[in-house]
Amino acid sequence: MLQTILGLLTLSGFAGFLALCLEVADLYFANYGECAIRINDGEREYTVQGGGHLLGALGDQGIFVPSACGGRGSCGLCKLQVLEGAGPLLPTETPYLSPEERRNHVRLSCQVKVRNNLSIEIPPELFLIKEYSARVERIRDLTEDIKEIRLSLLEPDTMKFKAGQYIQFQIPEYAGADEPVYRAYSLASGPGDPRRLTLVVTRVPDGVASTYIHTELREGNKVRVNGPYGEFYLRESAGDILMVATGSGLAPIMSLLHQMADQQIQRKATVVFGARQRKDLFYLEELEGFKERIPSLEVIFTLSRPSEEDRWQGERGRVTEVIPKIVHPRDEVEAYICGNPAMVESSEELLVRLGVPRERIYYDKFA
Amino acid sequence: MGRSPVIQSPHLDRVEQNLRSRPGHAHDFLGEDRRRLIEILTDDLGTVHAMGLTHEAVADRLERITDAARKGLGDPILLEGRFRTEVQEARGKLPCPWGHPGLYRKSLVTLFRVDTGESLQWTDLSIHLIRAHGFYQGKGSAYRLEPADLKRILEL
Amino acid sequence: MDLGISAFVIFFAAIFTNNILLTNFLGMCSFLAISREVRSSIGLGLAVVFVMTWTSAINYIVYYYILEPFNLVHFRFIVFIIVIAAFVQLVEMVIERYSPVLYVILGVFLPLITVNCAILGVCLFMIIREYTFLQSVAYGAGGGIGWMLAIVAMGGIRQRLAKAPIPKPLEGPGITLIIAGLMALAFIGFGGMIQIQ
Repeated sequence: MLQTILGLLTLSGFAGFLALCLEVADLYFANYGECAIRINDGEREYTVQGGGHLLGALGDQGIFVPSACGGRGSCGLCKLQVLEGAGPLLPTETPYLSPEERRNHVRLSCQVKVRNNLSIEIPPELFLIKEYSARVERIRDLTEDIKEIRLSLLEPDTMKFKAGQYIQFQIPEYAGADEPVYRAYSLASGPGDPRRLTLVVTRVPDGVASTYIHTELREGNKVRVNGPYGEFYLRESAGDILMVATGSGLAPIMSLLHQMADQQIQRKATVVFGARQRKDLFYLEELEGFKERIPSLEVIFTLSRPSEEDRWQGERGRVTEVIPKIVHPRDEVEAYICGNPAMVESSEELLVRLGVPRERIYYDKFA
Repeated sequence: MGRSPVIQSPHLDRVEQNLRSRPGHAHDFLGEDRRRLIEILTDDLGTVHAMGLTHEAVADRLERITDAARKGLGDPILLEGRFRTEVQEARGKLPCPWGHPGLYRKSLVTLFRVDTGESLQWTDLSIHLIRAHGFYQGKGSAYRLEPADLKRILEL
Repeated sequence: MDLGISAFVIFFAAIFTNNILLTNFLGMCSFLAISREVRSSIGLGLAVVFVMTWTSAINYIVYYYILEPFNLVHFRFIVFIIVIAAFVQLVEMVIERYSPVLYVILGVFLPLITVNCAILGVCLFMIIREYTFLQSVAYGAGGGIGWMLAIVAMGGIRQRLAKAPIPKPLEGPGITLIIAGLMALAFIGFGGMIQIQ
């Protein structure tokens, strides 16, 4: 009997001793202490608890580095320049980095562990990206499968953005999950109203967000968004503007028009909006409104397959068939194209053939 | 009579977990299929081989149709006299559940056979899943592509 | 029980003539699961060599200096497992701290080593055969290298088999076990060359 008890005691003691050793080892080896993250040569500095990944550490400080895979290391979007303190390059990063990027110390922030002080470079646009809570002010149908969602910002209550940018909308169903799910939607409202955001959402079969938005979202709901993102915005120049859009690609164009109206931009502008049938057209009233506020604006609708009942008298065919009618070689034109990637590519090639330099063609390819 | 246990590598276990409940994808890639991933893959591989095809051949055909359908620029276009196809694009890209590098466009291709009335739908990611992983999705998934249906409808 | 065998002979024997995997059939589970390709096999093999060598040394000390004096030898199974598990955790921590590259490469293989029965097997054999400390360490190192040899060879064979027409019912574990059997048969050829017990 004594033997059994002694045995059990010794065994427990031994196991306890080993557990203690491991705890000590953990404290020694896995403790990275506090680490300082220096951004843009001292523009900002944060002190964080070491041990996590850079992506998360920055996220905790309110800096949103883009990521599509939740830090798994399979999207390659979270690239940042880590000048010092990153440690050796990991095999999980190498597939995403070109030799030039490697030379410039570009790393995947979801794979870089914060073990000591770091010095990193972050593009200034990234600082403008914040997370916002908002209330759904209004939902209305624009067409059979397109809805307009108007949000009013709660906290923070204004967003500084450029016309043409987009935001990421968080799907509430997945809000409690390890990786919340976001989907990107262009802003159709202008920066002149920084308290409100208008989104245009097309219903995609089995789409995470569009299904939720079309079936569950209600006026008064609270949602979360983050942004703004995107390189699609109106350039400052004197040339004529051509805006081409199909489907919900019209959203960022509307944003550009808001900007033109608010800032009284007098440049000659033409909008070409392509759809299949009359029922697929939307924002007709709003576009009329813009024509009144922007005297130099012309709007051309084109239907590719108008039905009999449409009794369509306007342009027919796809946008690529209309463009050559309005752009002439040697016109000083700046083009903004938004919508279906194949349409964007075809339109771009077409414009290049018509003499528009590639540097003056801007697009939002939904990609 | 008992079933022999299905042994799956730890990697496929993780992939199966990704496929089933991953936030970021509206639907369960595995649908109502209760089988393990390795069983689904082996079963479909068998069917494909039995029909004298390979995953590559199926993926190639889907990809060629998708490329031709894109010329419609978002409108439906009739291919080979009997496939009415349309490509709808959504913003954003999806990573592959297998966890390797690469993002795939969200192009939804719908194909409708005007003569028989049958239809199929797939995305860029579906093509990749077939080509690289031999995965046609679980039975009951909205994007499940039955190899037999593919052979019949696309005339492989 | 022949304590006169040199440690070097034991080391050599543990790799070839008394291969822990192909002769004693220990450590089969991760062997079957991970041996799909050479690279991952080498990674796991190296980790096993490291753990096996060190744990045989540590367990020797624990057995002869703690368990025997206190009359607790009947606890050796539990104690050995606890030591192996703790050691593997320690190794994980150290690797993660000092070589993040290696940590990422080994990935899930590291904790998998704990459940490798070959490691416990080596510890128990050295007790049964009453090896000295040096002989035990040699046996541990050799056993690990032998195990690694077997898994790398299996990885190479399976990589080549990837394009071979294997009957469907045998694909996967089936053909792997057959190959393991064939490899074991080949290693029987070494049998009797050296006596280490």
